[in-house]
Amino acid sequence: MESKLLQFNGVSWSVFRMGESAWLIKPQIDEALLDCIHKTNSLLERSEIPQLVDVIPAYDSLTLIFNSSSFNIFQISDIKSQLYNPETSLYEIPVCYNLGLDWDEMEQKTMLKKEEIISVHSSKEYTIAMTGFLPGFVFLEGLDEQISVSRKENPRIKVPSGSIGIGGNQTGIYSIESPGGWQIIGRTPELFFDVNQNPPIKFKAGDKVRFQQITNNEFLKLTSNER
Amino acid sequence: MKGSLIVTVGGLFTTIQDRGRFGYRKFGVPVSGAMDKEAYKWANRLLGQSENTPVIEMTQKGGEFLFNTDAVISITGADMSPRINGDLISTNKVHYITEGDYLEFDSPEKGYRTYIGILGEWSLKKVMSSFSTYTLGEFGGLHGELLDVGDKISWEERKPENVLEEIPKECIPYYSSKLTVEFIAGPEWDWLTKEEQEKFLSTPFKVNSRSNRMGIRLDMEEPLSIPNRDMKSSGVIPGIIQLPPNGKPIILMQDGQTVGGYPRIGKVLDIYLGRVAQVPPGGIVRFMQSKK
Repeated sequence: MESKLLQFNGVSWSVFRMGESAWLIKPQIDEALLDCIHKTNSLLERSEIPQLVDVIPAYDSLTLIFNSSSFNIFQISDIKSQLYNPETSLYEIPVCYNLGLDWDEMEQKTMLKKEEIISVHSSKEYTIAMTGFLPGFVFLEGLDEQISVSRKENPRIKVPSGSIGIGGNQTGIYSIESPGGWQIIGRTPELFFDVNQNPPIKFKAGDKVRFQQITNNEFLKLTSNER
Repeated sequence: MKGSLIVTVGGLFTTIQDRGRFGYRKFGVPVSGAMDKEAYKWANRLLGQSENTPVIEMTQKGGEFLFNTDAVISITGADMSPRINGDLISTNKVHYITEGDYLEFDSPEKGYRTYIGILGEWSLKKVMSSFSTYTLGEFGGLHGELLDVGDKISWEERKPENVLEEIPKECIPYYSSKLTVEFIAGPEWDWLTKEEQEKFLSTPFKVNSRSNRMGIRLDMEEPLSIPNRDMKSSGVIPGIIQLPPNGKPIILMQDGQTVGGYPRIGKVLDIYLGRVAQVPPGGIVRFMQSKK
C-alpha cells in the first residue's frame, strides 16, 4: 500500500510498507534509475543508521530492513544528500563459452551463430545492477537486444557454479551451484562468492564487467589454480 | 570442561540455527535462522543463557543423539515424543543428561518443528556473523549441511544459573493444524481486484508438502488471479506473501531468497510466522487483514 512521498537524497520516493519494520522505497524518476539506486544505497551505507540492519538494492527500488518497528522511514529524509560518486571498478571475467549448455536454443531463438553470439556478448561492458536472489548471483545490465532470449521453459534443478546465463534482457553469473532457469552460455573458472571473505563477494552494485573468451584448456588451468 | 554429543540418526531435516544472519542480504544471502522464533527463544531462555546461542532444529521426524558427556538441555516446539534411553520425557522442559545417555525423537502429532537447546558455549565457527545453516548455499552450521550420522557437536560447559526448568503453562503454545494469521497489505496488494482480495480473505489454503525453509507453498481449489504486469525483481523478506502467475500464494520463510519478481500481496505479521512454521503439510492457513 502506497502512502505519501518521501524526500531523500534529492529525489522523491514512493514508500510502501513491507512489514512491521521493513520499507520499500522507489524513486520517482525516469532517467538514470539504477544510478540513483546505487548512489542512495551508498549514502545509506555511509550514514550508518544504527537501527538499519539490511538494505536490498534492486533495479527500481531499495528495501530497508530495521531492527525496530518504531523507526519511522520518514526520518531518513533528514540525512543530507551528498555530491558523491561511489568509486566503481571494472572487472575482466574470463569465460569459457564452450561450456555453455544451451547453445542450440540460443542459436535457434536469436537466429545467430554461436560465434556471433559470443562476439556480441564479449564485446559489451555491463553494469552490475544487483546481487541476489541467491548468494552471489550477479545481475548485469547492458545486454545487446540481439542476443536477448527468454528463460527456459523448464528450469534446471542444478546450474553449475560460475555459469554465465541470459534471461530475457539480462545477463548474469551464478556464483554458487543452484536451481535456475536462464540460458547457460558459458562458465567462468573464477569463484566470486567466498563465505570466508568479508565482504563475501568483491563486486558491488554499480561496478562494471567485461567478459573475456577463454579456451577449454585455459579454463581447466585456471580452475586448478583457483581450487 | 568440554561437552559433546554424536548424531546417530539425522532425522528428516535437522540443522543448526540461531536468530539469523543480518547485514548480508545485499550480497544475496538470506537471513536464515530458526523457523519458529518463539520456540527457539524458549530453548535458550529455559537454560538461562543468551538468546544468540545456537540450537538444533528438527523437522517432521526428529533425530537420535548419543551424549559423550553429561549435559543440560532443553526441548521446545512440537512434541516429538522425546525419549531418554527409551523412557518418554516432556517437551517444554529442561533435562539433565548423563554421559552415555541416548536421546531420540519421533514425529509430532501436532506441530512440525522441534528445538534442542544445550547449555554451554558451542565450539562452532560463525559464518558471516551467524551459526545458522543455509543448506542451499552449503554454509553455516557444522559444515553447511543437514546434521547426519557421525556428526559431533561440542561445547564448553557452563554452570547452570537461572535455569527455568519448564515453560510456564500459560506460555505453552498449542499447535493447531488450522491457523488464521494476520497480515498487512504488501506493495502489490492493490493489483488484486476487490473480488480477488475478498477471495484471498475467505479461502482456506492448504499447506503443500513441497513447503520448506525457503517458503510455505499454499494450495486451494480455485487459484487467485492477478494481472500479469511488468515487475522488476525487488526485495523480499520472511513473511512476504508472493503470488506467482499460477495463482497459488507462497509465504516466504527464513531461507527465502533476497529478491523476487512476483507480486507481494501481503506480509504475515512476525508474531504469526513461528506458528506458520508449525503447520504441517495438509494443514489449513487462513488470512485476516491486520487492523494495524
